[in-house]
Amino acid sequence: MNSMRTVIAFTMRNKLRSKSFIITTIILGILLVVGANVPYFIDKLTGPGSAAKVGYIASEQGEIIKGLEQQFGQAEKQKVELVPVEASGSDADKTAALGQAIEDGKIKGYLTFTENKEVGFPDVVYHSKKMLDTDTAGALQTGLQFVKTQQAVRDANLTNEQYFKLQAPVKLDTVQISDGAAGGKTEAEQGTAIGLTYAILILLFMSVMITGQLIATEITAEKSSRVMEIIVTSVAPLKQMFGKVIGTFLVGLLQLVVLVGAALINLTLPHNKGALEKFGIDLSSVEPKMIIFAIIMYLLGYFLYAMLFAAIGSLVSRTEDLSQTSMPVTMLSLAGFYIAIYGLTNPESTFITVCSFIPFFSPFILFLRIGLADPAWWEIVLSVGILIASVLAIGWLAAKIYRVGVLMYGKKPSFKEVFKALKAYKV
Amino acid sequence: MNPLVIEKVFKQYGDKTAVNGLSFEVAQGEIYGLLGANGAGKTTTMRMVLGLILPDGGSIRYRGKPYSTEQLSMLGYLPEERGMYPKIKVSEQILYLAQLRGMSRRDADANLKRWLERFQVPEYYNKKVEELSKGNQQKIQFIAAVIHKPSILIMDEAFSGLDPVNVELLKSTVKELRDDGASIVFSTHRMEHVEELCRNITIMHKSNPVLQGPIRDIKSRFPKEKVVVGAERDIPGLDRIPGVVSAIRTERGYDLRISRKEVAQDILKHAMAQGPVERFELLEPTLNEIFYKTVGESHE
Repeated sequence: MNSMRTVIAFTMRNKLRSKSFIITTIILGILLVVGANVPYFIDKLTGPGSAAKVGYIASEQGEIIKGLEQQFGQAEKQKVELVPVEASGSDADKTAALGQAIEDGKIKGYLTFTENKEVGFPDVVYHSKKMLDTDTAGALQTGLQFVKTQQAVRDANLTNEQYFKLQAPVKLDTVQISDGAAGGKTEAEQGTAIGLTYAILILLFMSVMITGQLIATEITAEKSSRVMEIIVTSVAPLKQMFGKVIGTFLVGLLQLVVLVGAALINLTLPHNKGALEKFGIDLSSVEPKMIIFAIIMYLLGYFLYAMLFAAIGSLVSRTEDLSQTSMPVTMLSLAGFYIAIYGLTNPESTFITVCSFIPFFSPFILFLRIGLADPAWWEIVLSVGILIASVLAIGWLAAKIYRVGVLMYGKKPSFKEVFKALKAYKV
Repeated sequence: MNPLVIEKVFKQYGDKTAVNGLSFEVAQGEIYGLLGANGAGKTTTMRMVLGLILPDGGSIRYRGKPYSTEQLSMLGYLPEERGMYPKIKVSEQILYLAQLRGMSRRDADANLKRWLERFQVPEYYNKKVEELSKGNQQKIQFIAAVIHKPSILIMDEAFSGLDPVNVELLKSTVKELRDDGASIVFSTHRMEHVEELCRNITIMHKSNPVLQGPIRDIKSRFPKEKVVVGAERDIPGLDRIPGVVSAIRTERGYDLRISRKEVAQDILKHAMAQGPVERFELLEPTLNEIFYKTVGESHE
C-alpha cells in the first residue's frame, strides 16, 4: 500500500509539474470562462438601441405601418425601428430617396409595397444591403402577419370576446412521466437533465480519451526508456499499474474540478442568471440522484477504460506504435459516446436500452437513461452490476497483460503471442 | 545458508529452452560471475533471480526463503540496457526508486547525496537525465541500483560504455559493496573484469551451464599451453622443438603454444643455449581463452 502511494505521488507530481499539463489547463479554463460569459455579452451587444432601422415612404400604407409600430413597440426588446423617409413623385424617385437614406446611414434597409388584390393585403419586399438578414426579416414577417390578422379580424366584425378567444395561445406543457411517482420532471427539469447529461457525457468522454491516452503513453515511455525493468523489480506490477491509473485519475479529477469550477462560478454570477434560464437550465433543479450517478458512472467508466489503456501501453515498445494499437479502445469509447449523443433525442429506444447493459457503453448510456428516460431500478442495478464486474475482470486481465507486456520488447505482439507469453511467464 | 541459492532452474519459452538446469550459490560478500555469449541465457537467469519471470522448474531461495514481493527491497538491479526517465530530475527519480524499495525519502536523499559526492558529480542532483553523458547516466543508473543498500545485487553488463577511469571507479565501488557483505551476481563480456572481481563463475552456452566453479580450479583444469620468451636476438629453431605447436616472433621475443607443460623446460634450455634470455614465463590460460575453448568446442 505504501509503495502504491509512492507511485501515485510520483505520477501526480510529474504530471502537475509538466508544462503541457499546466498550459492545457489554463487554455481550457480561459475557453470555459469566455464560453460561460458569451451569452451575456451577446445579449449586451444586441441590447436596446441596436434595433435595425427600416425605412419606408412616409406617405404610404399608413395603416400597416401604424400596426407594425404598435406591434414592435410591445416587444420587450425592439428589434426593428421604422423610419419614415420623405419622398414623392415616381417610383424611381422614391427608390432613389430610400437608397440615399441607406447611403446616409439613416436606415439599414427599406420596405416597398405592391398591392395584391387576391388577399387584400399588399406584398411586401424588404430591401437590405446585408445578405441573409434573417433576424430583421423574421421580425418583419411576424409583425406583418399580426397586422394582417388584425385587419382580417376587424373586417370580420368579431366581438372582443371572440377576438380574445381567437388570440389566446394554446397552452401545452410537457411533463415527463416517472413510474409510480407523482409529478415527474417538468420542462425546466428536463432541459436541465438534457444539459447536464450532455455536459457529463462530454466530460466522461474527454477524461477517458485524454487520461487514457496519457496512461498508455506514460507506460509505453517507461517501457521504451527501459526504466520499467527497474520499476518492476522494485514494486509489484499490479501496485505500479493501479498507482499509475489512480494517480493520473486524481490529476484528471483535479483538472476537471478546476475547469468545472471555473465554468460554474462564471455561470452562477448574477449577470449570467438570465442567460442560463434562457436555455431552460435551472441548476437548483438538478436532482441529487443525477449527481450521484454521474459520479458513479464517471468512476467506473474511467477505470474500465484506463485499465484497458494501461494494458495496451504495456504491450507496445515504442510510442509510435501506440496510437495504432490503442485504436480499438479509442473506437469503443467513440462508439459509446456517439450512441449516447443519438440517445439524447431517443432515450426510450430499444437500442439505447440494450446498449445500457453493454459494459463499454453503459457508463455513457446508463447515465443518459437515468437522466432522460427513468429506467426501472432493477435495470440500473443490473447495468451497474455488469459494469462493476467488467471493471474487475478487465482490471484482472489488464494486470496480467501488464505483468507480461512490460517485459516484451521488439515488435508489437499479436493476441496469440500475448496469450502464449501469459502461459510461459506463469503469471 | 548462502544468501542466494539457485537450484536446477529451468526455463522454457514456448519450445525453446532458455535456461537448462542451472544451479549456483552466491555467498555473502561474493561476486559471482555469469559468463556466456549473447543469448546464452544470462539475462533470463538474472530476470528469474529478480522475480521478473518465474522458473518452470527448480527453485531460487533468498536467505532460505522463496521469492515474494517482500524480497524486492533487498534486491538491487543494474540492467543491461540503461533505463531512466529521461525528462525527470536525477534526484526525483532516484528518490522515487528508493522509496519504492521501502526507504524513507530523507534517508534516500542523504544516500543519494553521498553517492553523487562519491562519484564526484554532486551537481547532477538537479539535472535531468537526458542532459547527462552516457557514462554519467551509467553512474546514476548504478546509484539507482545500490541506493537502498541491497543485500543481493544483480549487475548485467555493469561497465559497458564507460571510459577506463570510470570503470576503475565503479569497479572499486563494486568491491566495496562486496566487502560490505553484498552478494553480487555479475555478468559481462569483459573477461578481465571477471578475473579481477569474481571468485566463482558459471560459463553458460546455449542455455546450458558448461563450466562452473572457482576460477582458480577452472584454470588449473586447463593446461598451461602458452610460453612467452623475452629476447633481443633471434632464437632460431624454437618451432622445431617437439611439442611446440606454434612460435610467433613479436617485438620483444616469442609467443609459443605448446602441447604439454613439460615442453616449456625444453624451450628454456634451447633459448638459453643461444644466448641471454630476458624473460621467460609459462602462462596459465586466461579466462578469455578458456571461454573460447569451452564455448567454441561445444559449438562445433
